[in-house]
Amino acid sequence: MLENLQTLILSLADDDLFIGHRHAEWIGLGPILEEDIAFASIAQDETGHAQAYYQILTDLGLPTPDEWAFRREPQAFRCAHLVELPNFDYDYAIALMRHFLYDAAEKVRLQALTHSTYEPLALLAKRLQSEEKYHWLHAKTWIERLGRSTEEAHHRLSAALKLLWPYAWALFEPLPNEPEMVEAGWIPSSKSLQEQWLALIEPILAPIGLWREPPSEAELTPCLGARHGVRSPYFDQLYAEFTEVSASEPDAEW
Amino acid sequence: MTSLDPRIRRAEPRLSQISQVQLSPLDQWPTYEVFVQRTRGSHVQHVGSLHAPDPDMALVLAKEQYARRSQCVALWVVPTASILWTSAEDEDLFQPATDKSYREPQGYLHTRERIEKYRHRLKPAS
Amino acid sequence: MYGNLVMRPEDIENWGKKIEEEDPEKLAEFEARIERGEKIEPHDWMPFEYRRQLIRLIEQHAHSEIIGALPEGTWITRAPNFRRKLALMAKVQDEVGHAQLLYSAAETLGKSREAMINDLLSGKSKYSNIFNYPAKTWADTAIIAWLVDAGAIINQTTNSKGSYGPYVRALERICWEESFHLKYGYDSVVYLATGTERQRAMLQDALNRWWRPIMHFFGPPDHQSVHTEKLIRWKVKLATNDEMRQQFLDMYVPKIWELGLTIPDPILHKDPETGKWVYADPNWEEFWQVINGNGPCNRERLAVRRFAEENGRWVREALRPKNAHYVAPLA
Repeated sequence: MLENLQTLILSLADDDLFIGHRHAEWIGLGPILEEDIAFASIAQDETGHAQAYYQILTDLGLPTPDEWAFRREPQAFRCAHLVELPNFDYDYAIALMRHFLYDAAEKVRLQALTHSTYEPLALLAKRLQSEEKYHWLHAKTWIERLGRSTEEAHHRLSAALKLLWPYAWALFEPLPNEPEMVEAGWIPSSKSLQEQWLALIEPILAPIGLWREPPSEAELTPCLGARHGVRSPYFDQLYAEFTEVSASEPDAEW
Repeated sequence: MTSLDPRIRRAEPRLSQISQVQLSPLDQWPTYEVFVQRTRGSHVQHVGSLHAPDPDMALVLAKEQYARRSQCVALWVVPTASILWTSAEDEDLFQPATDKSYREPQGYLHTRERIEKYRHRLKPAS
Repeated sequence: MYGNLVMRPEDIENWGKKIEEEDPEKLAEFEARIERGEKIEPHDWMPFEYRRQLIRLIEQHAHSEIIGALPEGTWITRAPNFRRKLALMAKVQDEVGHAQLLYSAAETLGKSREAMINDLLSGKSKYSNIFNYPAKTWADTAIIAWLVDAGAIINQTTNSKGSYGPYVRALERICWEESFHLKYGYDSVVYLATGTERQRAMLQDALNRWWRPIMHFFGPPDHQSVHTEKLIRWKVKLATNDEMRQQFLDMYVPKIWELGLTIPDPILHKDPETGKWVYADPNWEEFWQVINGNGPCNRERLAVRRFAEENGRWVREALRPKNAHYVAPLA
């Protein structure tokens, strides 16, 4: 049971950890000062959420958040590949589209978790909702506007969505032993969450000509396995940078 | 040029290919004035300005630039162009020309003195 | 009586005038106001020379903040634990925020943000020299967050007693946020100073490399700098470079020594008679070389800003309202 709980919490925490990290790569390099500032808050929020999820495990006698984040083998992570993807070519369309797809999933996930029978998770989800509300507002406001603006913006968003689409679907890859978690009332099935996610994003993307067919099996398969410990080709470089300083003096305090 | 910053290295080769950049007028969007209500019951106060493309975006962006740390319960934005203001030359409009203490509490400090004077008049001459 | 003035140069009647050409009565009134300790606000009459000097000062400060986000921003993805990672994200975010506040303050004087950014990117406008040095290790971020921010706080606290309303208001908020930076920086330094041998060595090495730029931070010595009595009278400049440098040394040298760190200056000491710190010449030739473009990172800093602006162009362009016209911020 503890192992299942750990899997569930790590999938949530690891997702937030690396998306916060990827968002943070933009701090100081954003398209305009005001947006740089706003996006930096979102990066901090996600990173803080990761820490809060890990803390649930720490409270059960398991390692500290720093140890979970900085001291694991690649295959021990449970994040989706979507969050491991780099900020390809510093394309802000990719940054925004990833943020949009991810925070829609967060909205749906957190709402479901507030009803979790595992109380620490339900309580945390309730707390995190106020920050996620801002993330969703930010993402929606940007996508709705950019999608209706210039041809160039539309073209870039479309290309970004094409790239990210199978990865976003794979956010809902069923967790190992998921039926037991669903049975215990910890979380609804990934499939039902995915349906809610699609219902949330379609009315926003379709009117701006950005809706897509579900990804094919060929597109989806490379993105799967993440929840079982299979990492994307981008993980090694990501984690090497992530741990560059912490690994230089493993037992030091910083 | 190889940067020590991995984020910057990842921006190559495009970064090094950019030589001159010139922003055209309004590239940075128009400005909005921002007002914040710190707590329920307090006045909504001007705290600064920001650049935004439209009112909704102004609210979204103002939330982080002006309220990410400070306590805040509400936020207003107004296009700078919508604000009307009195000019500096007209600062004297706000200065009264004559004594208007008749409409201030401190214009009524002599009542005690009057009572004392009256009591004094009433006392028989000794 | 009222209006919503656009505040372009052509709207300002004395734009470009030399001080000798200004209306002497208005000038006297303006100076009397400052003398009384009152603030000058954006729509007050002001001599063009005051406007020009303030735009330059505030603009340079704004540029310093956005460039200053770069050396520390380098280390966000490599921060060694949650606490440091979050704090560094928040600190660098603050620097970007300060740039926004300062550009707004400068805009009230009639120069658009586009014009200011163009002047930065073309190399015409300057920014604080200290950011032309590289943050080579994690320990560099600690030294910068402690000692460079300490210098900035001294500068900003001094300037917050200045005469121009919008700048003073921006500085009040900036000073308040900087106090977290200082605490974070010192905390980071202390952990390294009290950590492993390699951490201590990394910290000492960082201090050795940053000490000279830090000594340059407040600008050239008073006898070398061109400083006009006018700027002091107008409360644009409120303390001399040497005064602020002395304040810095007084506040921070004892703290550095307390941690068992050495400062790469063989003669540094406080003269018991004068109460002033005596220090070795920090090579002002290097300062001039760097400020004129020959520092280790000058080219990179501007290249990165050009990249960021150019990279974001399509985004700004996409949302730019079609019928907008420029209005300067009010306060």
